[in-house]
Amino acid sequence: MEVLGDLAGGFATALRPEYLLLAALGVTLGTLVGVLPGIGPALTVALLLPLTNEFDPTGAFVMFAGIYYGGKYGGSTTSILLNTPGEAASVATTFEGFPMARSGRGGAALATAAIGSFVAGTISTIAITFLAPLVAQVALLFQPADYFALMVLAFVSVVALVGRSLVRGMVSLFLGLFMGLVGIDVLSGQARFVFGVPQLLNGLDIVVVAVGLFAVGEVLYVASRMRRNPEEIVAVRDRVGMNREEWRRSWKPWLRGTAIGFPFGTLPAGGAETPTFLSYNVEKQLSSHKDEFGKGAIEGVAGPEAANNAAFSGVLIPLLTLGIPTSATAAILLAAFQIFNLQPGPLLFEDSPGLVWALIASLYIGNVMLLILNLPLIRIWVKLLEIPRPLLYSGILVFATLGVYSLSNSAVDLLVMYAIGILGFFMRRYDFPVGPVILGVILGPLMEAQFRRALSISQGDPLIFVTRPLSLAILLLAFVALLLPYLPALISRLRGERPESGRRVFGEGEED
Amino acid sequence: MSEEPQQQREPEGGVRTEPQLSFLGSRIFAAAILAFGLFVLFGTFQISGREGFSPSGPRFFPLIVAVGLLVFGALFLLSTTMRRDRYLGKKAAAEGAATHWPTTGLVVAILVVYAILLDSLGYIVATAFLFPAEAYVLGSRGRRSLLRNFAIGVVLGTVVFFSFTELLGVRLPDGLLDPLL
Repeated sequence: MEVLGDLAGGFATALRPEYLLLAALGVTLGTLVGVLPGIGPALTVALLLPLTNEFDPTGAFVMFAGIYYGGKYGGSTTSILLNTPGEAASVATTFEGFPMARSGRGGAALATAAIGSFVAGTISTIAITFLAPLVAQVALLFQPADYFALMVLAFVSVVALVGRSLVRGMVSLFLGLFMGLVGIDVLSGQARFVFGVPQLLNGLDIVVVAVGLFAVGEVLYVASRMRRNPEEIVAVRDRVGMNREEWRRSWKPWLRGTAIGFPFGTLPAGGAETPTFLSYNVEKQLSSHKDEFGKGAIEGVAGPEAANNAAFSGVLIPLLTLGIPTSATAAILLAAFQIFNLQPGPLLFEDSPGLVWALIASLYIGNVMLLILNLPLIRIWVKLLEIPRPLLYSGILVFATLGVYSLSNSAVDLLVMYAIGILGFFMRRYDFPVGPVILGVILGPLMEAQFRRALSISQGDPLIFVTRPLSLAILLLAFVALLLPYLPALISRLRGERPESGRRVFGEGEED
Repeated sequence: MSEEPQQQREPEGGVRTEPQLSFLGSRIFAAAILAFGLFVLFGTFQISGREGFSPSGPRFFPLIVAVGLLVFGALFLLSTTMRRDRYLGKKAAAEGAATHWPTTGLVVAILVVYAILLDSLGYIVATAFLFPAEAYVLGSRGRRSLLRNFAIGVVLGTVVFFSFTELLGVRLPDGLLDPLL
C-alpha cells in the first residue's frame, strides 16, 4: 500500500526529537489555553498562531496538530468541571458531565472524556490516513465553478443547520464576508473599504477577527455580568479513572460517537456541533439507564465527547484536500497554512507530501501524548480553573492583545480588534452565532476568487454554475440544506397537523 | 461561548409564568446593522472600477454583501417588531437584567488607552498598568490585591517582553525603558 509507505515517512519525520518536542509543546500549550474558561479551540489556535512563526513549516504544523487537539481536550475539562463550555460543540458534554462532577464522579467523567477522545481521535486519524489521499485524487477534477458551489454549500449548511435563527446566522455570515472584503482586491488591484488607512490595505487578519470576537467579546460579556453570576467550580474528589462498570458503559458510546461524528466533520455541515447533540440523543435513546440522564449518566459524556473529537478530526479532510474549512477552528488553521504560503487543496498532497504526512503522523502522536498528559496531570489543569476570575480575564486580555500586536506591531490592529470585540459582545447578547463570521472572513475572498475565475473561464457566462453537473448538484444540495430545518414543520403542515415549532434546531439542547 | 444562563431553565412542574420580553436593545442592534449595510452600499460605489457592476469586477461581491446585510438586517428588525421572536426577547430581557454597563465600558476604555499609549510607554510599562487596571475593574480590589496584581503585571510584562524579543524574535516596543534595554 502506497499510503502506508507515505505514513511511515511521515512518522520518520514526526518522531525526530525536535519535532516530538514541538508536538509535546503544542499539546501542553493547547491544553493549557483550552482549559481556561471561555476559551474554545478556535481561540486557542488563534492565540498561539503567532508563536509558530519562528519554526520551519513542518515544525509549525506538528505543533499545530498538538495545539488543535490540545485545545479540544482542554475544553472538555472546563465543560465538565465548570459547566461553561468553551464552544458550542462542548455544550452537550455539560448535560451529563457537570452533574457527574457534582455528584463526586468528576474523575470518571474526565476519564471517559479523555479516553473517548483518544479512541475517537485515533480511529478518525486512521480514516483520514486512507480517505484524504482518495478525496484529493477526486478533488483534482474540481474546477473553479465546483469550488464556488462547495463554498456556497459550506456557508449554507453552517448557517442553516447550526444556531437558532437563520436570519441571525445570515447577518453573521454577511458581516464576516464584509470583513473579508477589506483590503486590496487581488484580481483587479483596487482598494476596497480601507477608508484611507494604509494598515488596512493588506486586509483584516483572521487572527485579529478571531481574537477580537472570541477573546475580547467573551471578556466583555463576562465583565458585563461579573456581578451577577458567581461560578461554581467542582473539585475532583475521586480518582481520575474508571471502574469496570464504567468501562462497560463507555466503550459502545465511544464507537457510536465516532461513527456519528466523523462523517459530519468531513461534510460541510457546521463542524462538531450537530453530531454532539445527535450522539447525546442517540445515547439517551439506547441507554438502559435512561433514568440517570440529566443526573450524570456516563454514556452522555462518552458519546458526545467521542463525536466531538471525531468531527474535529473529520474537518481536516475537506481542509487538507479541498482547502475548504467547515468550522471556525479549521478556518484559522487554513490561515496558518497561508502564513507559510501553502495552499491546502488537492495539490498539497503532490507538492508537499513530506509536510502533509508529517502532519497526519503527528495527529496520531498528539492523541497518544494527550492521553498520557491528561490522565495523570488533570489535577494540575484543574488548578487553572481556580485562578480568580478578575485575574484570569485580565490575563486573557493581555495575551489577546499581545497575540494581535505581535502580528505587525500596529496599534491600528489593536483598535480594530477591540471594535470587533465590541461587535462580538453585542452578537452574544442578541444570540448571533459567531462561527459564520470567521468562516465568512476566511472563505469569502476564496469564494470570490473562484467565482470570478469560473466566469473568466466561461467568458462571462453565468450559466457555468448550473451547466456543470457537479456544481449544479452541489448547489442543489445547498438548497436542500437550507430547507432541511423546515422540513418536519412542512411535513406536519401538509398532513394537516399544527406544527410544534416552525423550524427544527439541530445545534441546541432540547430542554430549553 | 458560555451563554447558557442558568435562570433560563424553568422549574419543572411549576407554574409557567409569562417571562419578561425585551426588544429595545435588539431593535437598536438591527438598526445598526441596517445602517452598516447602507454604509457598505455607499462604500461599494466608492470602489473605482471601469467595469461597473459586472460579476467579474471588484464591485460585484461588495454589492452582494451590502444587499445581504440590508435584507437580513431588515428581516432581523422584523423579528424584533412585527413577528416577535420570543426566545430572543426572553434572552435579551435576561441579559438586560444581568448587565452592568460601567464595568463593560471601563474594560473597553482601558484597552483603548493601552493601544494608544503602548508605543510610547513600551510593552513592559504599559502591561504593568494594563493588568492591574483591568483586574481592578473586573472586581479584584482591596489594597493587598492591588499590590499583588501590580506585581503580576510587572512580571508578566517583563517575562513576555524578553521571551518574545529574545526567543521568538518578535519585536515589542521598548518605550520608556529604551535607555535600559
